[in-house]
Amino acid sequence: MAQNAEHVLDHVELFRGPEYQQMLANKKKMFENARDPAEVERIREWSKTPEYREKNFAREALTINPAKACQPLGAVFASVGFEGTLPFVHGSQGCVAYYRSHLSRHFKEPSSCVSSSMTEDAAVFGGLNNMADGLANSYNMYKPKMIAVSTTCMAEVIGDDLNAFIKTSKERGSVPEHFDVPFAHTPAFVGSHITGYDNALKGILEHFWDGKAGTAPKLERTPNAKINFIGGFDGYTVGNTREIKRIFDLMDVQYTILADNSDVFDTPTDGEFRMYDGGTTLEDAAKAVHAKATISAQQWCTEKTLAFIAGHGQEVLAFNHPVGVSATDELLMALSRISGKDIPEALARERGRLVDAMADSSAHIHGKKFAIYGDPDLCYGLTDFLLELGAEPVHVLSTNGNKAWHDKMQALFASSPFGQNCHAYPGRDLWHMRSLLFTEPVDFLIGNTHGKYLERDTGTPLIRIGFPIFDRHHHHRSPVWGYQGGMNVLVKILDKIFDEIDRKTSVAGTDYSFDIIR
Amino acid sequence: MSSLSARILDVFNEPGCAKNADKSEADRKKGCTKQPKPGSAAGGCAFDGAKIALQPFTDVAHLVHGPIACEGNSWDNRGSASSGASIWRTGFTTDMNETDIVFGGEKRLYKAIREILEKYNPAAIFVYQTCIPAMIGDDIHAVCKAASQKFGKPVIPVNSPGFVGSKNLGNKLAGQALLDHVIGTEEPDHTTPCDINLIGEYNLSGELWQVKPLFDELGIRILSCISGDGKYREVASSHRARAAMLVCSKSMINVARKMQERYGIPFFEGSFYGIQDSSNALRNLARVLVERGAPADLIGRTEAVIAREEARAWAEIGSYRPRLAGKRALLITGGVKSWSVPAALQEAGLELVGTSVKKSTDEDKERIKQRMGQDVHMIDDMAPRDMYKMLKGAKADIMLSGGKSQFVALKAAMPWLDINQERSHAYMGYLGIVKLVEEIDKALYNPMWEQLRRPAPWDDTARDGHPMALARTDGQAAETPALLEPSRRAKRVCLCNTVDRGTIEDAIRFHGLTSVEAVREHTDAYGGCCRRRIQDILRAMSVSEPPAMRQAAE
Repeated sequence: MAQNAEHVLDHVELFRGPEYQQMLANKKKMFENARDPAEVERIREWSKTPEYREKNFAREALTINPAKACQPLGAVFASVGFEGTLPFVHGSQGCVAYYRSHLSRHFKEPSSCVSSSMTEDAAVFGGLNNMADGLANSYNMYKPKMIAVSTTCMAEVIGDDLNAFIKTSKERGSVPEHFDVPFAHTPAFVGSHITGYDNALKGILEHFWDGKAGTAPKLERTPNAKINFIGGFDGYTVGNTREIKRIFDLMDVQYTILADNSDVFDTPTDGEFRMYDGGTTLEDAAKAVHAKATISAQQWCTEKTLAFIAGHGQEVLAFNHPVGVSATDELLMALSRISGKDIPEALARERGRLVDAMADSSAHIHGKKFAIYGDPDLCYGLTDFLLELGAEPVHVLSTNGNKAWHDKMQALFASSPFGQNCHAYPGRDLWHMRSLLFTEPVDFLIGNTHGKYLERDTGTPLIRIGFPIFDRHHHHRSPVWGYQGGMNVLVKILDKIFDEIDRKTSVAGTDYSFDIIR
Repeated sequence: MSSLSARILDVFNEPGCAKNADKSEADRKKGCTKQPKPGSAAGGCAFDGAKIALQPFTDVAHLVHGPIACEGNSWDNRGSASSGASIWRTGFTTDMNETDIVFGGEKRLYKAIREILEKYNPAAIFVYQTCIPAMIGDDIHAVCKAASQKFGKPVIPVNSPGFVGSKNLGNKLAGQALLDHVIGTEEPDHTTPCDINLIGEYNLSGELWQVKPLFDELGIRILSCISGDGKYREVASSHRARAAMLVCSKSMINVARKMQERYGIPFFEGSFYGIQDSSNALRNLARVLVERGAPADLIGRTEAVIAREEARAWAEIGSYRPRLAGKRALLITGGVKSWSVPAALQEAGLELVGTSVKKSTDEDKERIKQRMGQDVHMIDDMAPRDMYKMLKGAKADIMLSGGKSQFVALKAAMPWLDINQERSHAYMGYLGIVKLVEEIDKALYNPMWEQLRRPAPWDDTARDGHPMALARTDGQAAETPALLEPSRRAKRVCLCNTVDRGTIEDAIRFHGLTSVEAVREHTDAYGGCCRRRIQDILRAMSVSEPPAMRQAAE
């Protein structure tokens, strides 16, 4: 055997060894009833054709490789952004294990979240007992300051009434009467994780602002000078939120970050386990009602939340994952206008540096074709930046994008000569993307970790920007918003472009164009 | 040092150079390049010149004798392409240390040569002298001679320490080293009546290969290219060529002239930059070869190839002319490119507002005048600050130059294209010019430039809330370049629903709107966070122009 105790091989190498290759070949030959390789090849080639693309796009029922996740994931993501808050998902525990692993694998941090562990009997008789026991246990075991309840499909299908259940549980003494238990119904069969984020955040704000489910008086808004900021579901929340705070501080604007999960997804290793860390304090969450305005960095993550806030008399405005010069300009100018504060020289300089960097390298990006997929706002922000750089974002696909997103994307394309041959694809999946990449090839693909299979399949180099990023570490620490963030995105794109030139020119036996100066 | 100074004098005394021939005896002794001015930013030294001239010889180990400074900074910095050997890219240096400088570095150099031969056994070793060993008196000639004899391999001294002068002098000293030690030391396997030398061609980005298929088609053999994609044996036997073409007149004219003297190889100057120049070069080559005994039908075949290639290239470039016509270009480069590139630009419909002649000979300048007319702005020596001023004054739409000027152009928000050695595209020959035009087109139309030229948007609005930019554009509407209008109109006013300024202005004008509410009714504008901006537009428009539609309705 190739494996031996003296020198134990990792799986990366081990199964490439001749013994294992032989074993796998034998298995295929003897037991797998393998098809004629020529036939497999023929079908493979056929699946790359425009004819297949047409069939692929005519798909009605089947979703293949979806680029979206479910509502409760977004709810958990939003909930941990509050001080000492334990997300509690009412439903089956398997779902919750997924959210925890999803977030853990992306952020490389523990992700604390509990479920009411509904089983078959609960599905038949209702989940009230699970809710009551669950709240009591989690309150006693994990000592949270708040428990934010969301739901899985299971609880939604049988129609569990969260408001009533929580009330009953409090009456039964699961948690103290005045303990904060906001809630949101977040069924996976509606929307995606960005909808869940929206619902959970709205649920929490509603809880604090509108009288805690009838147990307290509603808050009276007395406007102050503060500005609320909502990041939305964002895989770069650690870097982005810190960048946004830096910008607010530089502008000397008073602010509240709502659902600030930048610390809980980036806890230090110093011997202390932090189940909860940082986050928006409950007091600030309540006081946020008095703010002058609320800015959301992601329109499609906060549609309901912003409407709710606007209903309380605040000015609200939404951006679309602001990446690049113009998008950041607009964000800063909005901030400046609302707060009445000037944009400081320090930020003007950062802007100049980003413009300078773009100019230094634009020749390499200019005219390159890109495909992008991801959440609707991220797609929009990246497209905006690519158009700024003179690149052509030919295919922009968002599984959880809707008609409104499509129209806004097309308007963005129409605003630039580089967007003329570009299309937005709402509600499509990565198997659609595969057809697009084969029939209308591009130079680079921007997407999350799942894109690596598209990269291998279609030969389109993948630039990893999105959520989740499982197979690269620490990207979430660097912002993609603001001028600094634009710089990070620019470098990421350029690195891949240069890597590609090197890869293409690094041909054994030749010695041209594999240059040290690019 | 006496032999080195004699050699420098010899190099300076260049009858092939018209400029030099015009000088008085005393001036000639002073040399042909300006001595670097202390305190001002200067270009490369003689060592650098020698190194870059010879480095493209690909099967040669280039050994730099000196402290780490010289090779450490110049290792593998040449974008030449090699079709085979790669040893030219390996950085070899004696990396002299303090002890070597006290006790002399010759032994170390000798050992270094031996180690290269033992490890790599290249076709030859070129040993470059640098300032420090030259100052302490290391005799690289003697070391190279001894090593050649001992190991039976060519070990060629290139005596061009940095302090002797400019980069251009270094180019020539490198050429001199080839003449003294390499050319004529070997014989080719066979010769043909169509063997040529290309002198001063460096195969940057492989551009020689763009032209070579034409040579192959015509049956013209490049016996030796000095030095792009060059092999030691080829240059050593290059004295058997029938004719030579001098590509970069500045760097290697002494090589061409002396080969003519010694071996009777006629040479002419030519360029493959631009369509007409490529055709002229091919024509001249055919003519000279036929004069020297090549079959007479070569001329006819050459004309056929020229006609075909020109037609193809013109057709390609024609598609760009509408986009490039009337655009003004500023060219900062040297030597042959100062007149050959303008020709190419003119073919693409561009207008030349200035070309640098710092490194150009009188003949080059004459050619520029011929092509561009008498009034073309010839810039002798341009300090970065002046260059900046000129660009900032927007007297040009694009600058073409070497990499060092890039950042000046960028700071002045000027589109820029690299046409010197660090470029990554091949611009030679008929196809190259198409590529150049394509790159100019890309550079000119990159959305970056608009971003670069625009101030930060918050500078548009004056402190009192009055929109400065609006007032300005309306007040000076006649002066607003038509180019800016689309970008001004495309500016998003309503961020939430993506409504641009143009849409809102049109609606105001068309319906004669006066309030934000009315604008909301007639457009998608939300009127929330953009309320103030819409008010600004309303105010500006009511001041500047009467509502045309209302008047018309009345």
